[in-house]
Amino acid sequence: MAEAIDKQMYNFSIVRKFTVMAIVWGVLGMSVGVYIASELAWPFLNFDNAFITFGRLRPVHTTLVIFGFGGCALFATSYYVVQRTCQTRLWGGALAELTFWGWQAGMVLAILTYTSGFTQGREYAEFVWPLDIVITLIWVIYLLIYVMTLRNRSQPHIYVANWFYLAFILAVALLHVFNNMAVPVHWFSLESYSLHSGVQDAMLQWWYGHNAVGFYLTAAFLGMMYYFVPKQAGRPVYSYKLSIVHFWALIFLYMWVGTHHLHWTSVPDWASSIAATFSILLLMPSWGGMINGIMTLSGAWDKLRHDPILLFMIASLSFYGMSTFEGPLMSLKSVNALSHYTDWTVGHVHSGALGWVAMISFASIYHLIGKVWNTSIYSIKLVTTHFYLATIGIVLYITSLWVAGIGQGLILRAFDDYGNLAYTFIESVNFLHTPYMVRALGGAFFVLGILIMAYNFYMTVKQSRKEASDIDGLAMIPANAHH
Amino acid sequence: MKNETKQVETTGHVWDEDLQEYNNPLPRWWLWTFYITIIFAVSYWFMYPTFPMGDGFTRGMATITYTNAKGETKTVPWNTRNLLVQEMNESSSAVKQKEFLDKIGKMDYSAIANDKDLDGFVNSLGKALFSDNCAACHQQGGAGIVGLYPNLVDDDWLWGGSFANIEHTIREGRYGFMPGFSKVLDDKQIDDLATYVLSLSGEKGDEKQVQSGKTLFHSDTAACYYCHTEKATGLFSQGSANLTDQVWTIANISLNTDAATKKAEVKKVITQGVSRHMPTWKDRLSDTDIKLLTVYVHDLGGGK
Repeated sequence: MAEAIDKQMYNFSIVRKFTVMAIVWGVLGMSVGVYIASELAWPFLNFDNAFITFGRLRPVHTTLVIFGFGGCALFATSYYVVQRTCQTRLWGGALAELTFWGWQAGMVLAILTYTSGFTQGREYAEFVWPLDIVITLIWVIYLLIYVMTLRNRSQPHIYVANWFYLAFILAVALLHVFNNMAVPVHWFSLESYSLHSGVQDAMLQWWYGHNAVGFYLTAAFLGMMYYFVPKQAGRPVYSYKLSIVHFWALIFLYMWVGTHHLHWTSVPDWASSIAATFSILLLMPSWGGMINGIMTLSGAWDKLRHDPILLFMIASLSFYGMSTFEGPLMSLKSVNALSHYTDWTVGHVHSGALGWVAMISFASIYHLIGKVWNTSIYSIKLVTTHFYLATIGIVLYITSLWVAGIGQGLILRAFDDYGNLAYTFIESVNFLHTPYMVRALGGAFFVLGILIMAYNFYMTVKQSRKEASDIDGLAMIPANAHH
Repeated sequence: MKNETKQVETTGHVWDEDLQEYNNPLPRWWLWTFYITIIFAVSYWFMYPTFPMGDGFTRGMATITYTNAKGETKTVPWNTRNLLVQEMNESSSAVKQKEFLDKIGKMDYSAIANDKDLDGFVNSLGKALFSDNCAACHQQGGAGIVGLYPNLVDDDWLWGGSFANIEHTIREGRYGFMPGFSKVLDDKQIDDLATYVLSLSGEKGDEKQVQSGKTLFHSDTAACYYCHTEKATGLFSQGSANLTDQVWTIANISLNTDAATKKAEVKKVITQGVSRHMPTWKDRLSDTDIKLLTVYVHDLGGGK
């Protein structure tokens, strides 16, 4: 069969490897997240042990969930999508293996350096300089593989998902290189000084930081959405025109907004204004992706009743819409005066990270497990359970941090009848205890969900091996050999 | 399906067996909302400082008008600096706080303490200043930690509880030091000394030991009397404790402590000595803040 031959062309082994590691890093990274959330609620959990204090574990959590879980999910899905939509095998042969092992080594070394106290001190870019160089090399290879595979396509047009993936790979290369320009203290030292200083350094860092959100956590996962949503729903994408317009608008506007992380600091007012207005301009381009996703699903509402993967998708698009509305709102200076330096920011980023990024990744992984292991999911019921646990977790998480953040903001700016600050800082900390407990509980629900996914995934792979050996007596079978 | 009848056809491209795209137009509400955000942004650029130009930036048309303390009305371009100036001149809380602070800045301690109208203000700002600057060591409420940080809510003072003394403590900090005697005295001497020190506050002990301890206390070998004075009542200038009352600041002793533990605690202090440091606050707090905090701490200790 022509189809079977086509499928044999694909390199699914690399997709399987990245999928496994996405789940492994997801479980680890999210568990660390629950632990540090608990440290905030019950500080004794630091146990006076430097290796596990909040300060060192926090970058372990962010790195493992963004680059470990999110990164591996993006590698897996982009390698999968680019092959299937270009109908050609992944270019570069063993180079893809290099991106896999290099990336995993980066994650392990990051954990070791952070817990030992080595960090660049740049949020979401804590990797020490030698690791930055390793990551740059891997990323250039990734770009090369992706572009060459696109060039080798046997299709006349490039499918929309690939635009988003390619924009993500290009932009992250740019961001990573410019944000990590540093002068090592010594060739044999892990420490370095940033090339820039003061406000310029801060603006560069948040140009990176926010575009990590824009291109890594938004554009790339929109690429995922544009392939897996129409596939799972079995319907065409709602509007080709909308996808073009919102793609270019998103790509153009995101680069300007990073400074909204620095409102009410020593950055000039004009820089704040540019960031705030471009954030408002971003609202509709962001929503373009949500509309295209939801309208694509809209002809398949009946399927929601028995397809939890579609449930994950519709929920992820809803959270995406919600957090891309909340973001521009918080980027206005007057709102930011209340929200800045509070847990509202933390809640906002998690409504995007858990609600959008993690949920669309779960959906995509559930979709492709069956395809690349050549079987069907072990238990659809467990997928449904995972969905509800994750949703309850997110709702607890976001609402508790809305209470925490808005409460904190109001406490810190309250005056008494004499014109003095009504509360001391420590009173605002006391106030946070209850919301922090609820937040940790929400996180625990979410971790329980991904643990169930890991179990379901393990059983699916086990079942695929059994099926393969049942069919022709072979113990191991590449998934692409049968259809 | 209903949707299909409404929808135009696809673009005609097909990927991966069944991936297609409809040729639907941009949703109207989406487009119009996008236009509205553009109008909002462009108006914002005209109103507020936005674009860098040469050495400066476009200031925008928005202005801030406020009346300052001299009664002059000023109109200045909108920026966050001028927003702060306006707040400090006009907001009811800033004006009220400034009134009180100006008044207190000109008054002396006894006048502040006797002015009942100022009680509320002193307590409100004093609590804030105390919590943000002092509570990390002296604890919220000021009870301190025995052996580490002095208790400020009793009327037993190491460095003196007058306004002048408290102000000096806050302004310049304190360095409390007592040498350890482990190398100077032997075990028996330390035991005798502890028995004597405890007897000063009414604890019964072996009379022989008390006498021998008393001799040591006043001798030049142990030389306790240098700092604790002949009467053992301590000296504010040295921060040395009064040993004749039942208030213990370093040794962890309370009314219910049994005799053996009491002696062990006192011996520990004699053996190891004391070294405590309170930093200076003169560079962190304004003169008026220090004055206010002095009154507040003075009040905590019963105003004596």
